[in-house]
Amino acid sequence: MELLLDNLAHGFGVALSLNNLLFALLGAFIGTAIGVLPGIGPVATISLLLPITFGQPATTAIIMLAGIYYGAQYGGSTTAILLNLPGEVSSVVTTLEGYKMARNGRAGAALTIAALGSFFAGSVATILVAASGPALTDIALSFGPADYFSLMLLGLIISAVLAQGSVIKSVAMVVLGVALGLVGTDVQTGQQRFTFGIPELSDGLNFAAIAMGVFGIGEIILNLERPEVRSVLSAKVGSMFLTKEEWKRATPSVIRGTIIGSALGILPGGGASLASFGSYMMERKMSRGRNEFGSGAIEGVAGPEAANNAAAQTSFIPLLTLGIPSNAVMALMVGALIIQGIQPGPRMVESQPDLFWGLICSMWIGNVMLLVINLPMIGMWVKLLQVPYKYMYPAILTFCAIGVYSINNNVFDVYQTVFFAVLGYAFAKLKMEPAPLLVGFVLGPMMEEHLRRAMLLSRGDVTVFIERPISAVLLAIAALALGLMLLPGLRKRKEEAMAG
Amino acid sequence: MRINAKDFASALLLLVLAGLGLWLNTDHTLGSARRMGPGYMPMLTFGLEFFLGLVVLGISFVSGPDPLERWTKLDLVGLFLGIAVALVAYPLLVAAVPALGNNWYALGIALMIGLFVMAISPGWRKLALVLAGMTVFGVLLDQGGLFLAIAAMVVISSLADPDHRPLGVIGSVVFLIALCWWVFIYELDIRVNIWPTF
Repeated sequence: MELLLDNLAHGFGVALSLNNLLFALLGAFIGTAIGVLPGIGPVATISLLLPITFGQPATTAIIMLAGIYYGAQYGGSTTAILLNLPGEVSSVVTTLEGYKMARNGRAGAALTIAALGSFFAGSVATILVAASGPALTDIALSFGPADYFSLMLLGLIISAVLAQGSVIKSVAMVVLGVALGLVGTDVQTGQQRFTFGIPELSDGLNFAAIAMGVFGIGEIILNLERPEVRSVLSAKVGSMFLTKEEWKRATPSVIRGTIIGSALGILPGGGASLASFGSYMMERKMSRGRNEFGSGAIEGVAGPEAANNAAAQTSFIPLLTLGIPSNAVMALMVGALIIQGIQPGPRMVESQPDLFWGLICSMWIGNVMLLVINLPMIGMWVKLLQVPYKYMYPAILTFCAIGVYSINNNVFDVYQTVFFAVLGYAFAKLKMEPAPLLVGFVLGPMMEEHLRRAMLLSRGDVTVFIERPISAVLLAIAALALGLMLLPGLRKRKEEAMAG
Repeated sequence: MRINAKDFASALLLLVLAGLGLWLNTDHTLGSARRMGPGYMPMLTFGLEFFLGLVVLGISFVSGPDPLERWTKLDLVGLFLGIAVALVAYPLLVAAVPALGNNWYALGIALMIGLFVMAISPGWRKLALVLAGMTVFGVLLDQGGLFLAIAAMVVISSLADPDHRPLGVIGSVVFLIALCWWVFIYELDIRVNIWPTF
């Protein structure tokens, strides 16, 4: 306990430096903006802004990128409630009850509980990350290469199982991601693999080019093909204060949402959208106002909003303690860390205390900032929606192009992005989920290294993966998860859940 | 029988990529399970990918009809003509002007020509113009400078939206040049030419 307080004090020292405060604010601000805007999500934005963070120290860079992720959860709720327009996938369920509340003239109350619920959940999750980090790190340090390999395999499988759409296609996307990660120089022998003699490829495919191409530019083309839906604010925001009755109903929902969100966030493949949906289902089944669901129940806003914010933060736990990204956003964080010269892994807590504790504390500070950014400035965010897409997409494109160029100062990366944009467009048309691909791409090279090391130690004996207890348990969970999803009944449940 | 065209096409994509990977991997030493060579992991990965492609192929026959969007004849012609033109243009450009071999100029210009050919068919116009804008940016950046590259990219990609207005596009160009100058040159100081150099 004493140590935890010391560490947190150290973290606040880092997070409260002027530069870090500024970038946390910038991240939270940009996050809110893209949360409000439909058609651009945190994955595209973070990959877009990766190059901007290069000039900054690693801690500052991650603080800003994290701010974007949890800021997007706040911003997404605003348009969900006021306009029935989910800015992010994670706020889809907020539209269900939130927009009804707005139609009943309680938009202000819905926005307030969404923000306060998120703040509460964010604070609890921050403490959770701080407390579990060092503990999990101790466990992780006892992992051998075989255990690591199995853990990564588990992460990959769960991220595929929980992705939208067909499980088998998502698994195929993970494997495709691993395959893309093979391009470049083989670490142990120095041989060039799949580079076609192109010197630019000897360091591997450009991570930012894949992320921007598939998630940024591919998405622009798809958005252009859809007819634009212009939305207008119809309802009045009304009083921002909750009645006593509303407080009484919302408080337990926020607490439940925080718990379920924190749990689902840690899960590999989990994250904000899964959490908000899980919480919504729970509230509909067991909250006091369950009979009012469908006509604007405050529980249906309070629970999911708390859950998605809690999950956005606890999904950092596997990344910071094990070095394993649990979703596409965390895969981007790994990319950012590697570009900064930091290999994510269990040693990060010890070797990068500034980064670990600074990030945790800045999350809490960021949540305070978000409260200020969101509640009094709602009018401004709604105005942002009135910018037509035809002015927005050339701007996104410009930032992508300059950003990807500036990583290596090489136009080849621009053409790589064009290539992956085509691929991303094809994936969308064929209903192949791209998020698992990114996770596979990041984990692939690490998996190969651990596989080689494990097999070298076991002298080529594959049974090492089931003889080591940790590895065996992890593999069993992976097999179970895969097996369960192949059962027709559960698959249908998941499809319903994902369809919202 | 109606097959699931989306799954079927996905399976083909997976099988082609896996096949290509396995074929390219024949150059690499496999090694043994104990001492894995550079070809071992690719073999496992692409082998698994090929297997999954077969599974998706099997599923596509039973997962119900899910047709692809209809392609007009012009779309098909545009796609193949675009790819063909780009593939022919690349070696021709390198052979004709050896200087284009530097800095990927030949690649960028070939890509650009191919995309403009694709833009002839209405089905591909949005995709082709957005990507052509980005490619033109790459071609122009080093010699033409950042401002010219941004202007060309914004103008070309704006054409992808059917109801663009000249004044709006000019406004976007001016605004984005100013913004990018401030963010990337003034604040971040990236190393790039701003003005054309000849």
